Amino acid sequence: METTLHSLYLGFSVALEPHNAWYAFLGCVVGTLVGVLPGIGPLAGISILLPVTFGLNATQAIIMLAGIYYGSQYGGSTTSILMRIPGEASSVMTCIDGYAMAQKGRAGAALCIAAVGSWIGGTFGVLVLTVVAPPLATLAVKFGPPEYTALLVLGLIFLAYMSSTSLIRTLLMASLGLMLGMIGIDNMTGDFRYSFNLAELGDGIGIVPVAVGLFGLGEILSTPSADAVKNVIAPKLRELLPTRKEWREAVMPISRATVLGFIIGIIPGSAHIISSFLSYALERRLSKHPEQFGKGAVAGVAGPETANNAASTGAFVPLLALGIPTSPITAVLIGALMIHGVSVGPTLVNDHPDVFWGFVASMYVGNLMLLALNLPLVSLFVTVLRIPYAYLYPMIIMFCIIGVYETNNSVVDVWIMLIMGVLGYALRKFEFDPAPLVLGLVIAPILEQSLRQSLIMSNGDYLIFLSRPISLGLFAVSAGLLTLAAISFATKRRDWRATLAEAEAGEVET
Amino acid sequence: MTLRADHVAGAFFIAFGLLVIAVSGSLPFGNLASPGSGFMPVILSVLLILFGGTLMVRAGESRPFATLTWSDAKHAAMVVLITMLAIAAFEPLGFITANVAMMFALLVVIERRRLAPAAIYSVGVVVFTFVLFVYVLKTPLETGPLGF
Repeated sequence: METTLHSLYLGFSVALEPHNAWYAFLGCVVGTLVGVLPGIGPLAGISILLPVTFGLNATQAIIMLAGIYYGSQYGGSTTSILMRIPGEASSVMTCIDGYAMAQKGRAGAALCIAAVGSWIGGTFGVLVLTVVAPPLATLAVKFGPPEYTALLVLGLIFLAYMSSTSLIRTLLMASLGLMLGMIGIDNMTGDFRYSFNLAELGDGIGIVPVAVGLFGLGEILSTPSADAVKNVIAPKLRELLPTRKEWREAVMPISRATVLGFIIGIIPGSAHIISSFLSYALERRLSKHPEQFGKGAVAGVAGPETANNAASTGAFVPLLALGIPTSPITAVLIGALMIHGVSVGPTLVNDHPDVFWGFVASMYVGNLMLLALNLPLVSLFVTVLRIPYAYLYPMIIMFCIIGVYETNNSVVDVWIMLIMGVLGYALRKFEFDPAPLVLGLVIAPILEQSLRQSLIMSNGDYLIFLSRPISLGLFAVSAGLLTLAAISFATKRRDWRATLAEAEAGEVET
Repeated sequence: MTLRADHVAGAFFIAFGLLVIAVSGSLPFGNLASPGSGFMPVILSVLLILFGGTLMVRAGESRPFATLTWSDAKHAAMVVLITMLAIAAFEPLGFITANVAMMFALLVVIERRRLAPAAIYSVGVVVFTFVLFVYVLKTPLETGPLGF
């Protein structure tokens, strides 16, 4: 514990350096804007802004990008409450009661509760991350190729099981992502795969053009400007404070959602989306007045908003301790650190303590900044929402092009982004979630290498995965999840995932 | 039988899986003790075909293909076309010219905005961004024959 406190002291000394604090602040502001603007989610936002960090050192880059990530969670609540438009997917549940509160003249109170809940959820997450990540990293050093294979397979199956669409659709997307990850030079043999004599494809398809195409351009193609809503409720500063009754109603939902969100955040998948849904469902079930949900229940805002921020922080545990991305966003963050010559994994805490602890400490600071930013500046962020979408999306396309081009100074990457944009549009039409595709693309090289190394180690014997306790345990969990999914499919049982799918499609019962 | 969305999607993934297997012929598969560079792609192609087939079998749960709405397709196609032209012009003409032309075309052709505001907005945003990236953030952008 003493070592952790000492390390945290080191982290704060890094995070509070004026330059680093400035980049945390900048990340928070940009992240809030990303969250506020419909049509540009945290993943596209981080990907587009990745080249901006090239001139920074690794610590400053990760501090800024993480600020964008959790800033977008805060920002997403603003559009949900004021316009009934989720700035990003994890704010879907906040729309229901947040907008209902706004219509009753309690928009300010809803924003304040969302901001305070987000701060508590985020800060709790960082506290646990501080304690849990280093010992977990020590354990992860014992992982060999079979354990990594088992862990990545479990991650994919967990993602598919937790998916709100369907197991098959998620696995299809993940397989397509893994397939795209096969493009380029094979690390183990040096063979060129599917590069079609294009030198730029030798290094494979980058995550940035794929993420920006699927989530940035794809979203724009699916949103004709005539469909963009402009009706905004603007709260006044003096209306921001909730009443004592509203605070009382928010306390328990915030407490429960903090723990729930963090635990779900550790699990692979779109944790911040799932956590907000589960928190909403939990609060409605525990409430003495469930009939108020959908009509402006404070718990319906406090729970989901706290949970999605706690989950965002929880997602950093497997990232920092194991070097494994549990979501496309954390995958982009890994890519960012690799560009700066820092390999993420169990050795990060020892090899780059300034990066690790500086990043952790910056999250404490960043969450505090966001609390201070979001409430007084809400009117400013609302002004941004008044820019006509017809003027906004050409600018977003331009930033997509810059973001992708600057990563490798390659026009081929920009063409890939365009193709991915069209693919993203088509996938939305056929109700596929593109997030598992990005995750598949990122883990493809790690999964392929660990699988092939495992087979070489065992001279082609698949039993190597069942003869080692950790990989056996992980595969057993995978098998359990597949069995649960099969039972659910066979009995045609309607569970929470079906309701989540409806909620994400905007069909939730209000 | 009604053609459903998942019939089309499943058929696409099966075709894609078969295509990958077809173009993977030159990649060595190896064996279990020494997997080659074609090992994973073939496994993944088989998975794509299997999952695509399952999707087709369960297609009854999806919407009829005819009910998919394509009202936004014209807008999307126009945006793609203009963006394609801008990407093609990016290296020969440089960042500023290509992006001003793209934004102006998006605003005037698709959004039917008036010429003067569209031109002022396009030039203003692109030049500001160029200055921000090149002079403030020190990240070079593609320049054209006129040096910008």
